[in-house]
Parts: sequence; C-alpha cells; structure tokens
Amino acid sequence: MTRSLRSGLVALALILAAFGALKATAAADDPATIVKGAIDYWRDVTSYTVVEMTVHRPDWERASLMRAWTRGEKDSLVRFVKPARDAGSATLKVGDDMWIFSPKLNRVIKLPFSMMAQSWMGSDFSYNDLAKSDQIIHNFTHRLVKTDKQDGHAVYVIESTPLPNAPVIWGKERLRIRDDHLLLEETFFDQDGKPVKRLSAVKIGRLGGKVYVTSMRMEKLDEADHWTEITYRKASFGLSLPDAVFTLSNLRNPRPGWERP
Amino acid sequence: MARLALLLRLARRSVLRNRRRTLIILVAISVALWAMIFFAALTRGWENDVVHNAIFTLTGHLQVHAPGYRDDPSVDHSMKPPNATVAQLLAGTEVAAWGTRVRVPAVVMSEHDTAGVTLVGIDPAAERGLSFIADAVHTGRYLDSPDDRGILIGRALADRLGTGVGKRVVVMSQAADHSVADRGFRVVGLFEGDREATEMAYVFVGRRTAMTMLKLGSRVSELAVMLRDRRQLPAFLARLRTAASGLDVQPWTTLEPMAQAMVALGQAWIWMFFVVMYVAMAFGLVNTMLMAVMERTREFGMLQALGMRPRLILIQVVFESCFLLAAGAAAGIGLAAGTLSLLHGGINLSILAQGAEMWGMGKVIYPAAAVVDVIGATALVVVLGVFSSLYPAWRAARRVPIEAITRN
Amino acid sequence: MSAGTVIRSTSPQRPGLRLYLRLAWRNVWRNPRRTLLTLSAVAFAAVILVFMVSMQLGGYGAMIRGATGVFTGDLQVQAEGYHAKQRLRTAIADASSVEARVAAVPGVTAVSSRAQAFALVSSATRTYGGMIVGVEPAKEPSVSTIPRTIRKGRYLSGATSDEAVVGQALASNLSLTVGDEITVLGQGLDGSLAVAVLKVVGIFSSGVPELDRQTVEMPLASFQSAFLLGDRVHAIVVRTGGLEAVPHVAGLIRAAIANRPGLTVLRWDQLLEGLKQGIAMDAAVGWFLYTALVLVVTFSILNTFLMSVLERTREFGVFLALGTRPRILGRVVILESVILLLLGLAIGTLAGAGITAYAGVHGIAFSSSEELLAQWSLPARIYPRLDLLSVTLGPAAILLATLVAALFPARRIRRLRPVDAMKAV
Repeated sequence: MTRSLRSGLVALALILAAFGALKATAAADDPATIVKGAIDYWRDVTSYTVVEMTVHRPDWERASLMRAWTRGEKDSLVRFVKPARDAGSATLKVGDDMWIFSPKLNRVIKLPFSMMAQSWMGSDFSYNDLAKSDQIIHNFTHRLVKTDKQDGHAVYVIESTPLPNAPVIWGKERLRIRDDHLLLEETFFDQDGKPVKRLSAVKIGRLGGKVYVTSMRMEKLDEADHWTEITYRKASFGLSLPDAVFTLSNLRNPRPGWERP
Repeated sequence: MARLALLLRLARRSVLRNRRRTLIILVAISVALWAMIFFAALTRGWENDVVHNAIFTLTGHLQVHAPGYRDDPSVDHSMKPPNATVAQLLAGTEVAAWGTRVRVPAVVMSEHDTAGVTLVGIDPAAERGLSFIADAVHTGRYLDSPDDRGILIGRALADRLGTGVGKRVVVMSQAADHSVADRGFRVVGLFEGDREATEMAYVFVGRRTAMTMLKLGSRVSELAVMLRDRRQLPAFLARLRTAASGLDVQPWTTLEPMAQAMVALGQAWIWMFFVVMYVAMAFGLVNTMLMAVMERTREFGMLQALGMRPRLILIQVVFESCFLLAAGAAAGIGLAAGTLSLLHGGINLSILAQGAEMWGMGKVIYPAAAVVDVIGATALVVVLGVFSSLYPAWRAARRVPIEAITRN
Repeated sequence: MSAGTVIRSTSPQRPGLRLYLRLAWRNVWRNPRRTLLTLSAVAFAAVILVFMVSMQLGGYGAMIRGATGVFTGDLQVQAEGYHAKQRLRTAIADASSVEARVAAVPGVTAVSSRAQAFALVSSATRTYGGMIVGVEPAKEPSVSTIPRTIRKGRYLSGATSDEAVVGQALASNLSLTVGDEITVLGQGLDGSLAVAVLKVVGIFSSGVPELDRQTVEMPLASFQSAFLLGDRVHAIVVRTGGLEAVPHVAGLIRAAIANRPGLTVLRWDQLLEGLKQGIAMDAAVGWFLYTALVLVVTFSILNTFLMSVLERTREFGVFLALGTRPRILGRVVILESVILLLLGLAIGTLAGAGITAYAGVHGIAFSSSEELLAQWSLPARIYPRLDLLSVTLGPAAILLATLVAALFPARRIRRLRPVDAMKAV
C-alpha cells in the first residue's frame, strides 16, 4: 500500500471512529434510546425472577410470592407460589394475548378484552399494564426535559407523549431514568395534566449480577394509602429459556427444572 | 229547499234564545272534545317517540345481517358488502337512505374509568336521513368520512368517563382473528340522544378505521335501509330478501317488537277515552235538548196546528243540536289547537326522566294531534250527538196540537 | 208543591230539616225523566271513576309487586354506600346474626341473604361478563319469583354446593343447556382470584331483560367461599306481606339493627327509583283524564240544575210574596241538588264497586299485549283494586265539583223580585 493511501485510510478510520463516538454520545442523549435502554435493562433478553408483591389498602394488606419468566419485550409467564390459596395460579402472555390458569378450576381461560382493564390480582396494576409494559417504547414520543444529578449519577428526566392514535389512555408520562439504565420513577398523567399514578423505585441493589431496582411501588396519587409494592428476591438474566416455557401446556402443567436454571 | 233554510233559521234562533243554557252545554261539548284531542295528541306523541326511537336510533326500516349476527352480534358474524343486485335495489326510488356499518361490542377506557359499549363504524354521509347520529352532534364536530380517525361519544358517557372533546380514549375489542384489537381515538364530538341509554351505549367511528382496527378487510356487520314511505316496507322487504339470499333481512317491527306493541296499546286507550268522554257529554246534551224541547211544547204545538209536519219539527230540533255540536266542536278543536301550539316545544320530562324511560319515552314528549284522531273525535261527538238528540226531537214532534196548546 | 203543605212554620223555631227534605224530595221527582237523566250522568261518571281508579291502583300495585317480587323485595338491608357503588368490600359483616335479627322483626314475612359480584362466566366455547349472585336456596323462593320461572331443569336444591341457574339470554349467549359446566372467574375480597366451577341445573326466564341477560345464581355458601367473603353478604332481602306495611316495617328493622353501625335499610321505591317515577307519570295523565271527565259531567248537569230553578221562577215568586225567606228557598234548592247528586253517586259508586269487584275476581285480560306488559312487570291479567281510596276518590271529586255548580242556581233565587217572578212564564 502506498504511504499516502495508508495515511488516508488511517485518517478515514480516525474520522469514522470519532464519528462513531460522537454518535454514541449523541445516542446516549436521545430520549427514545434512553427509554428503550431502561426497559431492555429491566427485562433483559430473558429473565427469571422471584418476586414478592404486597398490595396495601387503608384497611387491609396482602402479600404474595411469585415466579416470573420473561422473554424479549412481549412474552412472560407469572406463577404464584404463596399464599397457599393462590398457589399454582398463573398468567401467560405471548405476543398480545393473555391467558389465566387456575388450579382450582383446572382450566386455562383466555382473557377477553373486556377484562383487560381490570386490576391484576387486586393490585394497582391492570392486566393491561402487564400486557403493555413495552408500550412506552413503541407508542410514545420522548423529550428530554432536563438532566438531574443524584447520588453521583446523572438522572434523565424524560417526558413521553403518546402517539396520536396509540391505545394509551394517559395524557403523558414522566420518566426519571438513571444513566445506568435504572428506571427510578414513572408518573402517569391524565389528559388535563394531573398526575394520577406513579411507579417509583424504593430500593436499589445488586441482583442477578447487575445493579437493579430491587423494590418498586405503584401508588394512586389521589387516594391515600393505596399502593402495591413489588420486591425482587432473586433474579437471573440472559438465561436460555426453552420456547416451551411460554406455552399453554406449560401454563397448565409447570415442568420442574426451569425453576432454577 | 226554502223550507230547509227556514228550519235552519228557526233552529238557530231557538238556540240563541237561551244564551246561558246554550253556553253551558257548549262548554261541556268543547271540554269533552278538547280533552279527547289533547289526550289523543299526548298518546300519539308518545307513540311517535317510541317508534321514532325504534327506527331512528340505528335500526332504520330494515336491516340485513349475516346469519347468526342477531344472536351473537360480534365480529365473527360479518358479511361482505352489498352485491350488485342488492346495490341496484338500494339505488331505487323507494329508498331514502341506506348505509353499511361495522357494529361490535367493545370497551372504552379513559384515564379514570372504563365502560362497555357498542362500537359502530359508519360512513358519516350515509347516516344522514338514516339514523339520529348525523344530527345529534352538538359539541365538537361530526365525523368527516369513513376514514376519520376521531370518535363520537355520548354526552352522558363522556361525563362518566371524565373525558371530553379533544381528549383521547382507548377502544378495545376483538379483531376478526380473535386477537385483542385496541386503538386510541381522539374525541371529536359529543352527541346527544333522546334517551340517556343511547348516549351510554354507542360510540361512533369511521367505518374504514373500524375495519382496519378489527382486521375485517372489506366486511361489515350490518346494512340498514330507510325507505321514503314506511308503507312500502313489505314489498321492498320481499325483493331485498330475494336479492340478498343467504343473509338475514328483517324489518324494524321484528327487530324492535316492543314499539309495535306500544302503538297498539296506545290506540286502544285513545278509543276507550273517546267513548267515555262522549257518553259523559251525551247525557248533558240529551238533557239540555229535552229541556229545550219541553219548554217549547206550546210553540211546537202551534207550529203543528199551523200545518208544520211533525217530520219537519224533528228536523228543526235535530238542526238545533247540530248547531250546538258544531259550535262546541269548533270551540273544542280551537282550544285543543291553542293548547297544542303552546306546547309546541314539547313537554319536558326531565324531572321524571327515569320514569319516562320506563315508559319508553325520551326527555321531551311532543304532543302530536293526528288528523285521524281529530276527525274521529269530532265525528263521534257530532254524529252520535245528533243520534242522541233524536229522542228529544222525536218527543218534540209527536205532540198532539190541542193538548200542546192548552198545556200549561 | 201540593196543597196542604205548609211552608211557613207554625212554630216560632225555624223549619226543621225533615220538612226541607220532604220538599226537596218531591221537587226532585217532579220531572222524572230529567231527574233520571241527571242521575245517570252522575252515576255514569261515578262508575267510570271508581273503575278506572281501581284499575290504576290495581295496575300500580301489580307493577310494584311484580317488580319487587321478581328480585328486589319490599326492603333490603345493605351496607351503607353499597346502593351507590357496588363494591365487593361494601358488605354486611357477621351477616347471619343480622339476618336472624331482621327475621324476628314483626311484619317481616320472609328474609333471605345475598352476595353478588361481577365476574367472567365461561362455558366450553364462550366467555361473557355476568352478575353472579350467591343466594340461600331454601329461602330465596320466598323473596324472589325467579325460582318459579325456571323453564328448563330445576332451581338450586341446596344439597350440592356447586350448582347454578342461569338466565335464559345469558344461557343462549353461552350456548348452555342443563347439565353443562360453567366456570366463574372474578376477584375475591382481598384481590385474589375467585374461581368456581358450577354445573347448570336450571335455566330461568324472569321476563326482566336485565336479569335474564346477565344473572347466574349459585348457593351463597359456595359464593362466600369462592370470593373469600366469610360470613359477609351484600343484601338482606325482606318481604313484608303488603306494600302499605313497608314504611312501618322499615322503621322497626332500623331499630332492630341500630346497634350495628354502617347498615342502612332501603325501601323498594329507593331501590327501583325509575318505577316510582314511572307510576307518578302515569298517575299525572290519569288526573288529567279524570279532571276532564268531571268537568264535562259537571257542565252537563249544570243545565239541569239551572233549568229546574228557572222553570219554577213563578212558584218562587209566589212563595217569596207569601213571605218565605229567600234563604229557605235557596236551602231547599240546594238540598234538591244534594239529594240528586248523592243518589246518583250512590248508585254509581255501588254499580262501579260491583263491576270492579267482579273484575277484581276475574281480572281484565290484556292477552295481546302480554310481552309488552311484562316489560313493566305487569301480568297479562290485571286485577283492579277496590279499596276505600278508589271507591271514594272519584265520587268525592264529582260531588265537590257538582256541588259548586249547584250553588249558582240557588244564588239566583236570592235575587228574585217576587212581583217580577210571579209574572214569569
């Protein structure tokens, strides 16, 4: 290679590298990417978690324990372990469809659309919330409002507005995402701009080999003492989960062995 | 002929002779007729409301569906759009308006609440003259086209969901492939129905938007037709059934059987009331005529002695009652016309709204006097009134002259 | 007046009532035909009014009984706030003791408890939303007519815990027949999944669309266990044996459960608000019709009264000239009218009562409008209700109006000048 050609190539490579770096930093600041990054970080390619859920109301409280498997953005299986009354009940989501299994009925029921707005297991999450956990990525446009500093991390405050015909009831959402992809807060606003409910990170720790929001709370803002808290007890990420996990037969008959891969 | 004129003059003079008595019986006749017409108008107003609601809410004069749709009005029972034969029939002169719709159960969600509704995908232009929706939007705007991406919801539903014009709601339903179909719609207009139930039950979107959302392709749920003249329904129905063989074609009377039943019931009540009022009035009329006749025995006796035949006396008395009846009827009709024009804007039932809904009425009832009722009531009163005055007339006519003259 | 009847009294006191009555009575029958016609007019109006008011009251009674009998009951005890918003949590705790206490209240003829929730009902092929009602199989038939409207199969027997009856429209939507299995999926008291598998033992058709379209009834104990309610219920349904007794019994029940806070007693008209309004509307139309009838009859017979005074102008003139006070003449005339009216009303009321009583036994059939009437909870055969109100209301109104009418001719007498009067023809 001639000297001039080599230096030309080096120069080109340097420029491309610089360009790439520039793009990387720019990408880091692109709110859509930040949001997708947070969701992907939370769900990972695949995951297996053991979750404790506490539903709290002014006059009662209920705690349950469940195991959850997720794959990609859309598939998930949740099976209840405790309390004994609910043990064995499970919810399967594949694509846009959801099924419920009840061991007492020994039956799998496909969730009709009329049930989607109902609350899941009495919590402050609806079946729709569960089904549409990825909708923040696809159905919104995002705007970086500001960048805060907290505990030595940069926290991106992002305002997300639903696309015109997106099936989203909220007026807008406000997200606080840390620079290490942790979703610290998600506030849901009605179309008059009033905040209606909020999902906030309560505890951050290490789980499954990464820094993770180990406890989060969903609360209704106009009703005092109404919240649901989710705490991760165990998590493994990036496992190779067989496709058979996310099937109706597995929903009905859990195979042992995929519990602790 | 001259005799008739004379009798008329005599009759009129007798009637006017005793003003007070004439006035009193006139009041009785006119009140009776006024009450008859008014009650009939109220009942007809109610019937019209019920029938109008049955036809105009969405049903039309007849509807076409895929077989099985009426038992299970879901996306599973959709049909292809009208074929060439049917289209030709629909282009005929008897048809005032027609349109196809997508119509399936759905759920509407806002930030605050959820409601079960029927999602109706329409061609906005086709609904003019076919159903109430084209004229029912008073806030915001009507839909532009079958591709319009907005949604029309009822005012009561908007209140319940805490939403309004300019806001978005999410509609969820089942698509043709059984997946969950959901979509955000911007509320572009609020409609008002005659009944709150209508406002809560239906939401309207563009038909093509609905087809896309539900993955229907070009299939629809129903075809509704409005004829120019309701009486042509049976004939048209037969031809449409032949043209649309394999599909379920039904008239509004089958789709909304209660409306018909109410009309029949109302009719019966009207005639019962007519008869009662007539009898009540007839007593007074006969009594009055009798008295009028009795106190003129001398006069009649004299006329007879002078050569007037009994038959003519009878006719004269009958003429007298005719005058009374005609005048009373005119006054009664006038009173009724006056009262009805005062109530032209309708009687507002909103205080008793739930009670009104129980009887199938909307928020306002518009009394409507049907010509057939006015004529019927008047004919009943006048004709039967004349008939009942035959007795006094006969009594007047049969006096023997000498006895009559010498009677004190 | 026949000769020999003394007008001016011989004694210093005023003439007695018996004298007036005799005079009036004779006057009344002086012109039998006219009197008969007037009597007929009054009697006719009385018959019509007695019958129509009885039909109305009977109809309303039937409507209310029909509507309350199907499902609502005469009274319900509920937790405060349940009627406004039906939340599973808004329930009556320790329900069996409350029910026992209510059952002991005098005037209560039947009691039954219910718990209900909205849930998904699935058959083998379809899923629909429905209202699941837990009922006490032995007691429910005494407060609701649904058990009697079973078209296929039978009602709940109470022996098995996993049986259900389904409304006809819902059964056909779900493609169910007797013997099929349905699953119920809802949310329990603490939010956990409430599930039940039930066997359809009967399909009912109450005639009320809302009930037939979405109701599934199952044994209360199974409902409470599936929805984790424990001993809670949502409504204690009460029957009192008569609508008139309702307010009184409601008060007694309130007193009986006063020691349990957070409970409220609701009457049928509070539970079925639309029904009460609907009846009010119909009553208003009825009033209009009756007023028109009374007016027409009043004017019809006004002429009679007038005539009977005017044609005796000469007589009155004579009496006045003889020194009779005008007031006395006036009283006699009024008495005549009163006798006439009372006689007519008596005949009419008796005849009306007779006809109504007969119809009350056999009922008036509206067979062609059967389905329509069922919409308003009315049976195809309506029994007019004869009671003090329906017998006296119409006739009293007629009496009032016609008496006022009778006063006018009587007043004319006062203004008579004897000399002019005597010259009248």
